[in-house]
Amino acid sequence: MYLFRLALASLSNRRFTAFLTVLAIALSACLLLAVERVRTEAKASFASTISGTDLVVGARSGSVNLLLYSVFRIGNATNNIRWDSYTQLAENPKVKWAIPLSLGDSHRGYRVLGTNQAYFEHYHYGRNQALKLSEGKPFEDIYDVVLGAEVAEALHYKLGDHIVLAHGVSTISLVEHGDKPFTVVGILARTGTPVDRTLHISLEGMEALHVDWQNGAPARGEGKISAEQARQLDLTPKAITAVLLGLNSKVATFGLQRAINEYRGEPLMAILPGVALQELWSLMGTAEQALFIVSLFVVLTGLIGMLTAILTSLNERRREMAILRSVGARPWHIFSLLVAEAFALALAGVVSGLALLYVAIAIAQAPVQAYYGLYLPLEWPSRYEWTLLGGILIAALLMGCVPAWRAYRQSLADGLSVRL
Amino acid sequence: MSVLIELNDLGFAWPGQPELLDIPHFQLQRGETLFLKGPSGSGKTTLLGLLGGVNKPSRGMVRLLEQDLTTLSAARRDHFRVDHTGYIFQQFNLLPFLSVQENVELPCHFSALRSQRAKERHGSQAEAARALLSALGLGERALGERRAGVLSIGQQQRVAAARALIGQPELVIADEPTSALDADTREAFLNLLFAECRAAGSSLLFVSHDQGLASLFDRSLSLLELNRAARPAEV
Repeated sequence: MYLFRLALASLSNRRFTAFLTVLAIALSACLLLAVERVRTEAKASFASTISGTDLVVGARSGSVNLLLYSVFRIGNATNNIRWDSYTQLAENPKVKWAIPLSLGDSHRGYRVLGTNQAYFEHYHYGRNQALKLSEGKPFEDIYDVVLGAEVAEALHYKLGDHIVLAHGVSTISLVEHGDKPFTVVGILARTGTPVDRTLHISLEGMEALHVDWQNGAPARGEGKISAEQARQLDLTPKAITAVLLGLNSKVATFGLQRAINEYRGEPLMAILPGVALQELWSLMGTAEQALFIVSLFVVLTGLIGMLTAILTSLNERRREMAILRSVGARPWHIFSLLVAEAFALALAGVVSGLALLYVAIAIAQAPVQAYYGLYLPLEWPSRYEWTLLGGILIAALLMGCVPAWRAYRQSLADGLSVRL
Repeated sequence: MSVLIELNDLGFAWPGQPELLDIPHFQLQRGETLFLKGPSGSGKTTLLGLLGGVNKPSRGMVRLLEQDLTTLSAARRDHFRVDHTGYIFQQFNLLPFLSVQENVELPCHFSALRSQRAKERHGSQAEAARALLSALGLGERALGERRAGVLSIGQQQRVAAARALIGQPELVIADEPTSALDADTREAFLNLLFAECRAAGSSLLFVSHDQGLASLFDRSLSLLELNRAARPAEV
């Protein structure tokens, strides 16, 4: 203990270098923990992009593909689901609710989703949070649209604006549904999920847009049906893209999944969103690993900085060592003194790193939650994080042995006198 | 008077070099003050290293308090040194980042024996340090709290003396402690040192090239005469 006290006193004598060393270690420890925390939370938030949904049903393809287009609005469906398949599913006694999803159109790069009221009621994300409207109301009329938060913000739309949707999903070259403009009636609150980047219209609206289309091209001349004329028609869709299902009992999930996969009417596929999300996340695992490894190297850099600082101090401290030897310090005392010094630096670094992390989280928590949908909790370090911090301290102890060994040799050679 | 230090047929050489020390016989009595005149190149530093048990002689015997240092392990020699020897060097004796008080108490943290003796005589380590400091003219309480680095050289040397004397070691080795002091302070310092050595019952081995001080000591010796291997002083 006395040696530790001596080490601290000696460090305070070199407080500027010591401060910089501690700062370097603190920043690197903070970075490591921040990366770790964001990583964990990103994974958790990714896994909760959609929650409460038991099965996602689409045309038979790959499970990741189905998840990508139905939940993340990335890519396209290979095929559609017939409307009667959807009604059969919705009426299945095991099914509590069903959300039909119809995709294919876009507006200035943002996807348009055709759905019904069930979406606002049953679509959950995060920790089972329902969608909330920050302004307006859900769509009622055929030509109403509800915007995701990011769409409204990026394109500066407000309630009552009229917008024209485009056919297809690329940003340019699109044939526009210019004859049937939509009115913004609602804007959703931010969720940090793909919902923010989506325009929601009713299935009937989706159908009305395409009612006069033939073979993937708009009708010309005679065949044209105006917006008002379309209202008179039966706008029940013939096909949709995917269905989200909530079941009465989770136990029924696998049974229903099998039943859907074996459905005779058309080739369908049902997936468990959680499983597919895991699969998708594992694809991104490499980037996440890389980030983690980079931050480990940053920690290593911080520790090497400490090593350099202690090693360069050794020469000017030969006298200090000789004095300690003359008052009775054994060479192993000198060794322990330097290890204690390294440990003290690393400990101070780790503690300030933690403090830095909590300050950063406290400041960034709200904006990060709003813009990236990441909830960074202000909670005690997890067991894993403690392990990382412990690892830093152990690494510092091991590295401290290098200057300690040099000082040990030096003090043996110098004895009680220093020839300077 | 009993014998404190005894050297017999002592020889020492650094590896691969000619013999540096060759001392047939040397004795220091308990309580004696000895002036050892040692110009540079006379093997002075090496001799002090041998007495401190930092180095081991190539041949012969070093006895301190009846204990043959050459038979002890390096760790035991270190232990033995701090229990029985206090050191004062030329200058920069103190750890500048510790307070004066802490500097004086340093040996007690490494030697249980000296810590115990300090407590027996003064009640506590801190009290022993204060008593020594005040005997050496550094009695102001505020001074003990100051960092050692801010003292004048003369004050620093007195603090070093207090540190060498705490816990009453049998031997105090002073290696040119006065060379950085001016003539007036020098004698005053020596008188204080003698008085305190006497009070603690310690022998004083005082190494210096300043012949003018020799008359103040019980006995005076030249290392050049003592050491048969001494080369003529290289100037």
